[in-house]
Amino acid sequence: MENLLEVKNLRLYYHTSKGAVKALDDVSFSLKEGETLGLVGESGCGKTTTGVALLKMPSPPGRIEKGSQIIIDGTDIVPLSDKEIRKNIRWEKISMVFQGAMNCLTPVYTIGRQMLETLNEHRMMEEKQAVELIKEYLGHVGLPPEVMNRYPHELSGGMKQRVVIASALFLKPRLVILDEPTTALDVIVQAQIINLLKELKKTFNLSFIFITHDLALEAEVSDRICVMYAGKIAELGTNAQIYGKEPLHPYTQKLLQATPLLHKKVDTLAFIPGTPPDLINPPTGCRFNPRCHCTMEKCFTEEPPLIEVEPGHQVACWRCVK
Amino acid sequence: MSQFMEFWNEFKRDKSGLVGLGILILCILLVVFEPLIIPYKEAGTKWRSIEYWQDNSQSAPPVWTNLFTKTKQAASADLRDFSKTVDADGNTIYQFHYNYQYDLAPYDLIIRAVGTGTIPLTVSVMRPDKQVIELFSTSLYNLSENEPIRISILNSSRDSALSFVREFESEENFGNIQTMSAGVTEIIFSEAKPGFVQNQIPLKGNYIFEIKVSQPIAEEGQEIPKVYFEEPHISVVGRVSGLLGTDNSKRDIFSGIIAGLKWALLIGFFTSIISVFVGVIYGIITAYFGGKVDSAMMFFWDYFISLPVLPILIVAAAIFKPSIWTLVGVLIVFSWAGSVKTVRSIALQIKEETFVEAARALGASHGRIIFRHMAPILIPYSFASMALAVPGAIIYESTVSLLGLGDTTVVTWGQILNDAYQGQAMLTGLWWWIIPPGLAIAIIGMTFAFLGFALDRILHPKLQTR
Amino acid sequence: MSEVLLEVKNLKKHFVPHLTLAQTLAGGKKRVIKAVDGVSFSIMKGEIFGLIGESGSGKTTTGKLIMKLIEPTSGTITFDGEDVTFTNKAKTQEYRRKVQMIFQDPYASMNPRFKIRDVLLEPLIIHKMHGNRAEQIERVLKALTEVKLTPPEEFLVRYPHMLSGGQRQRTATARTLILNPKMLVADEPVSMIDLSTRAEILHMMKEVQRDLGLTYLYITHDLSTARYFTDRIAVMYLGRIVEMGPADEIIDNPIHPYTQALIAAVPEPQAGKVDIIKKLPISGEIPSPANIPSGCRFHTRCPYATEACANNPEPELMDAGNGHFHACARWKEIPKAQ
Repeated sequence: MENLLEVKNLRLYYHTSKGAVKALDDVSFSLKEGETLGLVGESGCGKTTTGVALLKMPSPPGRIEKGSQIIIDGTDIVPLSDKEIRKNIRWEKISMVFQGAMNCLTPVYTIGRQMLETLNEHRMMEEKQAVELIKEYLGHVGLPPEVMNRYPHELSGGMKQRVVIASALFLKPRLVILDEPTTALDVIVQAQIINLLKELKKTFNLSFIFITHDLALEAEVSDRICVMYAGKIAELGTNAQIYGKEPLHPYTQKLLQATPLLHKKVDTLAFIPGTPPDLINPPTGCRFNPRCHCTMEKCFTEEPPLIEVEPGHQVACWRCVK
Repeated sequence: MSQFMEFWNEFKRDKSGLVGLGILILCILLVVFEPLIIPYKEAGTKWRSIEYWQDNSQSAPPVWTNLFTKTKQAASADLRDFSKTVDADGNTIYQFHYNYQYDLAPYDLIIRAVGTGTIPLTVSVMRPDKQVIELFSTSLYNLSENEPIRISILNSSRDSALSFVREFESEENFGNIQTMSAGVTEIIFSEAKPGFVQNQIPLKGNYIFEIKVSQPIAEEGQEIPKVYFEEPHISVVGRVSGLLGTDNSKRDIFSGIIAGLKWALLIGFFTSIISVFVGVIYGIITAYFGGKVDSAMMFFWDYFISLPVLPILIVAAAIFKPSIWTLVGVLIVFSWAGSVKTVRSIALQIKEETFVEAARALGASHGRIIFRHMAPILIPYSFASMALAVPGAIIYESTVSLLGLGDTTVVTWGQILNDAYQGQAMLTGLWWWIIPPGLAIAIIGMTFAFLGFALDRILHPKLQTR
Repeated sequence: MSEVLLEVKNLKKHFVPHLTLAQTLAGGKKRVIKAVDGVSFSIMKGEIFGLIGESGSGKTTTGKLIMKLIEPTSGTITFDGEDVTFTNKAKTQEYRRKVQMIFQDPYASMNPRFKIRDVLLEPLIIHKMHGNRAEQIERVLKALTEVKLTPPEEFLVRYPHMLSGGQRQRTATARTLILNPKMLVADEPVSMIDLSTRAEILHMMKEVQRDLGLTYLYITHDLSTARYFTDRIAVMYLGRIVEMGPADEIIDNPIHPYTQALIAAVPEPQAGKVDIIKKLPISGEIPSPANIPSGCRFHTRCPYATEACANNPEPELMDAGNGHFHACARWKEIPKAQ
């Protein structure tokens, strides 16, 4: 399989009056066609920022720094102008389902009208044709065509999320970034949406980047898991490498131990003391060192590189360096 | 004390707050030292007295406009320093020095004093070129005790001025001049040479005005009557006057502005604070209790806000003596309703916040929730509407004054503006009559706004809008 | 652990929204939203009782009814042997001292203009406890120490926005503990908190419960934390309890098809599930509480429903042994979940 997406040394800094917030610092990963990559981590670890960076639309004062590469289908999009990105990349090659997008539908317009607008932004199309296309995609996400004439408040949360997913698929993108697509939904609806996504992925031969804080959910969705901490990748491995046996990075280990399990009664759950670091002045050495339970001397002086410990399994921890 | 210091240290960092505080302190100082600052001490109480202002020039621009013009115009002045001598015949001579350094002569010079009985009076001027003009000679008869004396040179010295001209002009020229309305003061303050009336060249230098009060001649068998003549001074009616000029009723605008400051502060403070306070509490209560209470209170409010203000004001003015206090009272009664609707809508939102529910779960009373939890959130809005209510109240006061319902015993900025409007200051270009009161209203409004926002920033450092 | 602390009997809360003018003119009938529609359960002293349900199930409304934040339409609430359903002001105040609430969003539950000191003093001021201000501050410091916010003095002058999510929830817990309550109602206390600290908060709440002998009503949509945290669970669907019993029993041997569906839908952090499309026994979404189906209210979505389920009167909670109650008429015919 070809690499659909390759991210190399991605740096995204927010330049504030207090200094540069290193929201993403040297993030590299790749994504094969038809693959789902999961991004997990606590809030503020850079999951969403990565997604937004891939669309090249960081919110000001954020800036993608020099030396970063985002290669999609063989083209590096970092040097491209905004116009080119809008024309050829955004929604054409990569689209995104933003967190809470389902609550951002305008209450005063019908669903159809709002979807038409999204479509017209990108393609000039006869109205009739466009309506047909919308109906087709509503069908793909399991909604009847009448939904076009409904207003957002008449739909349930799950239906709204389906509408948002349909809107992201219109222009046949190759890669869809899903940012917490099921967070606000009930567990049964969440399972329905996850099933839908899996089906859509097959139908349209899509690749996903699935962003969530829920490790359990990630296990059911993603082929490969990328655990992020403080703007860096802590551990990146296949589903089996992360969930099948003990993961290698202490952060991943603790996160998993902190996840309550439904079918296993435990007396105490693990937790990680403290809070994620300030990204203007991150701790020297490993950024996780103030919260880590198994630090060595080296952890405080030198930043651990992301090294491959076994095929397809990368970890940034001094403990794993032989 | 340490708490205050802490507060002050925070406050110091807020630039706009400091500006606001600075202006407010300045305003208070101006009010306290008003008698020392204003040139017309009784401006506040005698604003509508024609006599009090009669020695001033009408619609004169501010003095400092001379800085921007080539021909310097004579400024108004009051000559009060004199030397008093008694000559051999028992006549009393008062000498006034006037250093004239302008290009355009003043409109008029007015001799003022108080006197009793019969006073024979001669006034003359010695010009820098040593020419002496006897301006007039007259006798004032049977003045009652301490009656004010007022003699305008413009009116009394026309003949003497003309005879002064005659000395220099040819007969032919003089005939022309007579028909012309050559000003007396222009003749006095110009270089004396042929043709000087047509082509006036100002004669700059020190002029000495002399008021001679003659010893009256005793009638037979009677004592020499005692001449009582006190407090002589000469008002120079200039072409430019005071810091901010004069209006068309000869009133000094600077004095009016300073005298009006205290009323502006008073109207602004009382109406805005009380009405906003009442409005905010009313709005919160109606939103908080909702249901029937809300319906009843909003019905009352609807009724209130649709009442025609003006007829009620006229009736009120007819019943009560129009005074600034009645006015403030009426303004409060009619302006509290303004903020209710907005407050109610904000309060309806706050009411749904979890922390209000949390307070209720803790067992907090209605009063505590309203005053401790909801009202403080509305402080920024309250300060903003207070700041905005200040100029509104001042303008409202002037509107009321327009209908003759204002307090005529005081001077307010609104009244000055209103007079300017009536006097068509805009059309006649009397900008010094409009801009200062307008600017003063704006500055006071701004001061309140600056202070309000600064206080809010300090007392409530981070206003999270969720 | 056999004494009943709180007992709720046939509790109902029906909301009747006002019609708009247009609706009235069009001859619209008033809709009744049955948010809570006949809920009965009892909580033992020292127990952690979980109330589980999706959004729209009425679990939060039940919590508010128990907190007496809203008045029930009918039913009774008995606390410590005393009927507290409708009480006078003084009694309500006393009840509020004994039963405290922890909210979902600790940040939203604190006035953003209050310092932590004021937040924690508030309950003491309201209930006029612990004498003068200095003694009250003593109590505040003690409460902060109880929830492990140390050194407590440092937190007094901070504002809620200066704290981290975990610290905020600790503060919120401290506020409830300060009045020495007997019971805490916790509505989704950890759903807004990051995974890494979620366990820490739950652990802290458990410790406090053990140390002070508290009783909890834990309201959540999250079955996994419920299993970890609670002793007994009641599952709510459309304003009614459909299944109730010991936490382990409910999750390992669910009887009601709805509970089975809920459990099947919960994701688990295990490898090798990516290519599997999960079999969900039920489809669709929860109906509107303004339009509750007849008969068993779950029959519209139930895979095992028969005509009888729609027509027969609604099944009441039945005992299946071991304190396991359920409300499914066909329970014997339903296959056990794997």
